[in-house]
Amino acid sequence: MHLLYSIFVDPFMQMGHAPDLLVQTLWDGLVSGVLYALIALGFVLIFKASGVFNFAQGIMVVFAALTLVGLNEHGVPAYVALALTVVVMLVLAVAVERAILRPLVNQPEIILFMATFGLTYVLIGLGELIFGGDPKVMISGELGLPSGSYRINMLGGYVQLQKIDIAAAIIASLMVAGLGIVFNRTRIGRALRAVADSHRAALSVGISLEQIWVVVWFAAGVVALATGIMWGARSNVSFALEIIALKALPVLILGGFTSIPGAIVGGLIIGVGEKMGEFYWGPLVGGGIESWFAYVIALVFLLFRPQGLFGERIIERL
Amino acid sequence: MAADIGALDTFPKLLLHHAKVRGARPAIREKDRGIWQTWTWTQLADEVRVLACGFADQGLKRGDHMALVGDNRPRIYAAMCAAQCLGAVPVPLYQDAVAAEMAFPIQNAEIALAVVEDQEQVDKLLEILPQCPTLKHIYYDNPRGLRHYAQPQLASYDRLREIGSEAAKRDPGFLEREIEKGAGDDPAAMFFTSGTTATPKGVVLTHHALIDRARAAAEMEGLTDRDVVIAYLPPAWIGQNIFSYAQPFATGYCICCPESAETLMTDMREIGPSYYFAPPRVLEALLTQVSIRMEDAGRFKRALYRHFMDVARRVGGAILDRKPVGMAQRLHYALGDLLVYGPLRNVLGMSRVRVAYTAGEAIGPDLFRFYRSIGINLKQLYGSTETSVFVCVQPNGQVKADTVGPAVRGVELKFTPQRELLIRSPGLFREYYKNPQATEQAKDAEGWFHTGDAGYLDADGHLKIIDRVKDVGRLDDRTLFAPKYLENKLKFFPYIKEAVAFGHARDRVCAFINIDMEAVGNWAEKRKLAYTGYVDLASRKEVRDLITQCVEQVNADLAADPELAGSQIHRFLLLHKELDADDGELTRTRKVRRGYIAERYASLVEALYAGKESVHVEAQVRYEDGRTGQISADLSICDARSFPPAAAREAA
Amino acid sequence: MTETEARAQRIGAPVLAVEEVSLTFGGVRALTEVSFDVREHEVRAIIGPNGAGKSSMLNVLNGFYQPQHGIIRFRGREFRGMKPHVAATMGIGRTFQNIALFRGMTVLDNIMVGRNLKMRGNLLQEAFWLPAARREEIEHRRAVEEIIDFLEIQHIRRTPVGQLPYGLQKRVELARALAMEPSVLLLDEPMAGMNLEEKQDMCRFVLDVNDHYGTTIVLIEHDMGVVMDISDRVVVLDYGSKIADGTPDQVRSDQAVIDAYLGVAH
Repeated sequence: MHLLYSIFVDPFMQMGHAPDLLVQTLWDGLVSGVLYALIALGFVLIFKASGVFNFAQGIMVVFAALTLVGLNEHGVPAYVALALTVVVMLVLAVAVERAILRPLVNQPEIILFMATFGLTYVLIGLGELIFGGDPKVMISGELGLPSGSYRINMLGGYVQLQKIDIAAAIIASLMVAGLGIVFNRTRIGRALRAVADSHRAALSVGISLEQIWVVVWFAAGVVALATGIMWGARSNVSFALEIIALKALPVLILGGFTSIPGAIVGGLIIGVGEKMGEFYWGPLVGGGIESWFAYVIALVFLLFRPQGLFGERIIERL
Repeated sequence: MAADIGALDTFPKLLLHHAKVRGARPAIREKDRGIWQTWTWTQLADEVRVLACGFADQGLKRGDHMALVGDNRPRIYAAMCAAQCLGAVPVPLYQDAVAAEMAFPIQNAEIALAVVEDQEQVDKLLEILPQCPTLKHIYYDNPRGLRHYAQPQLASYDRLREIGSEAAKRDPGFLEREIEKGAGDDPAAMFFTSGTTATPKGVVLTHHALIDRARAAAEMEGLTDRDVVIAYLPPAWIGQNIFSYAQPFATGYCICCPESAETLMTDMREIGPSYYFAPPRVLEALLTQVSIRMEDAGRFKRALYRHFMDVARRVGGAILDRKPVGMAQRLHYALGDLLVYGPLRNVLGMSRVRVAYTAGEAIGPDLFRFYRSIGINLKQLYGSTETSVFVCVQPNGQVKADTVGPAVRGVELKFTPQRELLIRSPGLFREYYKNPQATEQAKDAEGWFHTGDAGYLDADGHLKIIDRVKDVGRLDDRTLFAPKYLENKLKFFPYIKEAVAFGHARDRVCAFINIDMEAVGNWAEKRKLAYTGYVDLASRKEVRDLITQCVEQVNADLAADPELAGSQIHRFLLLHKELDADDGELTRTRKVRRGYIAERYASLVEALYAGKESVHVEAQVRYEDGRTGQISADLSICDARSFPPAAAREAA
Repeated sequence: MTETEARAQRIGAPVLAVEEVSLTFGGVRALTEVSFDVREHEVRAIIGPNGAGKSSMLNVLNGFYQPQHGIIRFRGREFRGMKPHVAATMGIGRTFQNIALFRGMTVLDNIMVGRNLKMRGNLLQEAFWLPAARREEIEHRRAVEEIIDFLEIQHIRRTPVGQLPYGLQKRVELARALAMEPSVLLLDEPMAGMNLEEKQDMCRFVLDVNDHYGTTIVLIEHDMGVVMDISDRVVVLDYGSKIADGTPDQVRSDQAVIDAYLGVAH
């Protein structure tokens, strides 16, 4: 009886008693949700256009952030370092297309998946080799990102909003909007959607798969860089980030592997869900819900709606 | 008798008038290449000028006839007006007629010049060219596929325009002089009746008749140059001509030509016509589509739809007629309008419809009330080719499902002892072309037109039509038998597409029925009933049971009517093929040709009356491409329950 | 001048030719030393029983497969193997036997993708919807609308192709290929799986395309009937080798062809 009470009644009473805390928790959840969404977005881009499940997406985030900070440590001014990192991501995209996608085209998906597995370790090795393995501090100040926080009095208490989080939300929204425009309005976007639907048909009208692959991997690289900067600004830049990047998996299961809106909504749900879970239900099991709650949600979805919220319906035709 | 229609007594004069007073207003819109293209009145007048000069150059003279074959296209209407400018008489022909059907009108009217839409029509005319030696020029609008046609008679519409432009330059005042020569009593157009009888007759209508009728109805409905009409029925049909030529010329409103028949619904939604005409069969098809869509909808939506359609049935008509309705019911209806009727009108493309007409044949009362109940001002009218359409129209607020309204201004009605309706009106036709005998039969010395329709005026002076005089029959016990009335009742069911009732001089009523492939197919799929095609579906026991239920429901309704209780349907069969205009079973306006069907399927009729269980049939069918094929099938004959008349039941 | 004469006059010099092309898949011979040419403006059919190597031939022509031997000549250039991108750029369009459309997109978008190579606009102009990009979009849309009108698919303009019936999907595929303004169009069994009426429609469209746009047409069919009526010349393949080549009449009366179709043992 007491257990049921503490699961189904007590948390909601707490929410009612301290609405300011509820708002704070929701906000924190949304902010980490935005970052999950960005990582998932990178996955979706690549999966849609090339059918490759890119295991390395998480490590690309770290790699990008590390490159940026590393370059700055070596004396490159922050904005120049940022531009250089973008170039590095482009080079990476071209390299991936040349070294992995082109030779392995038409191979089974599992082979390509394993190739991205390999790519992960190449990137880790490369990062450590060049920039060393120590955790680094993100150069948010140099990049002109705000620090400090707003304190807003409301609902009989206050809510604290980190300025960097607000900036993160804005940058993420701009990026999603930009991708949306490119996807829906431009020739390259139309070609991208075409490739996602049928490789053969896209080839037959003269769309170059190689070019499209470079474009999506580059786009995913830029998204990874943005994610890396923002995440780095909240904690440190280290390969430990990769674990958090794995959160993208439940986000994708929730949102569907091929849907950009799905990645965003999925990310926000997971972010908010795990923060709320941790705060209100965590004490029941002694905390630590945050690390596995997302996977539970994903499991529930796999059972009842395997195509995700926005994914294309999976219909097995006989 | 002739009412004065003023100085603007011909269509070409009206055209110049509109070009002067509302030159920049749209006259015709056409959706082409995905975009609505507009012709203003000035542009239309310019086009007509060029064409008229071209026609004159090609030898078209006052009193000559010219054929028009095509769908609703601005160029077809421009050509019509251009011919009228020269005092020539345009003869629109049905664009879906087969080649052989076109030969008679062309020979009859000694047509030398034709303007046609595309390759399909060119092919047909070329096919009958040997029988039609008078035909010297064929101008086609769409050159697609015609590049290698080398016949000397052929030229493109654009070529005609070139000829016209040059001619217009040589003599700039030509057109105005020609238009001035025209008078209201000149023939304006000739329409061939679809011919339920042997040969079609060319109905000659004067400018005066058409303009007078167009104005009478426009005044009655308050039509202005802001109204919009969508032109989608064959231009060769008088109704289409009235709504998309005579009335726009009379009032200056704009007509819109859809991109193709398949895009009609989308185009209509985009345009939002304010004035609309649809024969009952179109309204029926639309309702069937809606019903099917609702059956496929989710449970909640279905319940919502049913609930509010109930409300609409109860109070919708009264609200439209501005009759007193309780506040609570008004609110309930308003909610329904928000949730159901409004969206429904939008889907039908009728959100802006102010006046909608239906005519051509009797409309099922439930079908009629459906449209009125959801707030569409659908009204019935009565008229024919010979009367320039408008004889009777239901005025706003005086709409009944079973009458066609009182006489329109200028029309006199009277009846023969056999209840045949006679009409005198300024809109009457001048004659049947080169057929004085038929003209004399139809129009007597005092100028009364014998319609062939049986009917009477009700207490409010509204005309009620029962059937054709010649079709109203008696069973052998003298019971009244109105076949069309029965067929219409059957056809109101979405599952029944066509019905043909027999019973004159017989002991009881029997019927042929065509199932509606779309509705019954859908019904069958829901029940996981596999079928290969029409013949197979129609032969299923489940389908026969479904139709039996419909027939029995009709019988129950008939039993309630003392006049018609005796004509309940005792037996019926589902035909092995769909009745088709190409096989002569329907008219081009898709009315059943009962006599022809009875003759063609005499063995089936006999089987019905002989009490057989089934009948074997072998029939030749003509496919769309003109090939013929053989169908052979065993048709089961079904018995339907009949009910004792209401009066008898009360006595019992 | 009759219609056939008019057509015969338009047919020009060979534009596309394969010479002794052989293709194997891991030891299985799909094509063996096949040679033939295609003349400008003609309708050229490749027929043969199932498994004769017709689709492989088409895939060689547009660069999906690289032949082990032989050369392809196209417009004066010589290729050891074609590349799909090169083929498309040089004006070879194609359709597929088992329809390859962009299922998630509307009919209009599908055909617009066909304009891909004709579009010049840059990403920024397009992203910010600048006048130049808008002008270009309108220009391409006009071209696409012409094709929509030509193939009579106005009514499905906004329909996602996945929802269309088979026959219409085939027509949309043809429309997309036409949007490339190809000089040579490869049609892989355009009539497969259609009913008689749809087949006749498709024949009419193929002939109209050939006539109106002057497009050279190479089409594959395994069913002899329809193709014979619309082709100028016919190549017959059987077991990956050419067994006949000539006008429909010559091919029809060729003993090797009759044997192949009647399944005489080799």
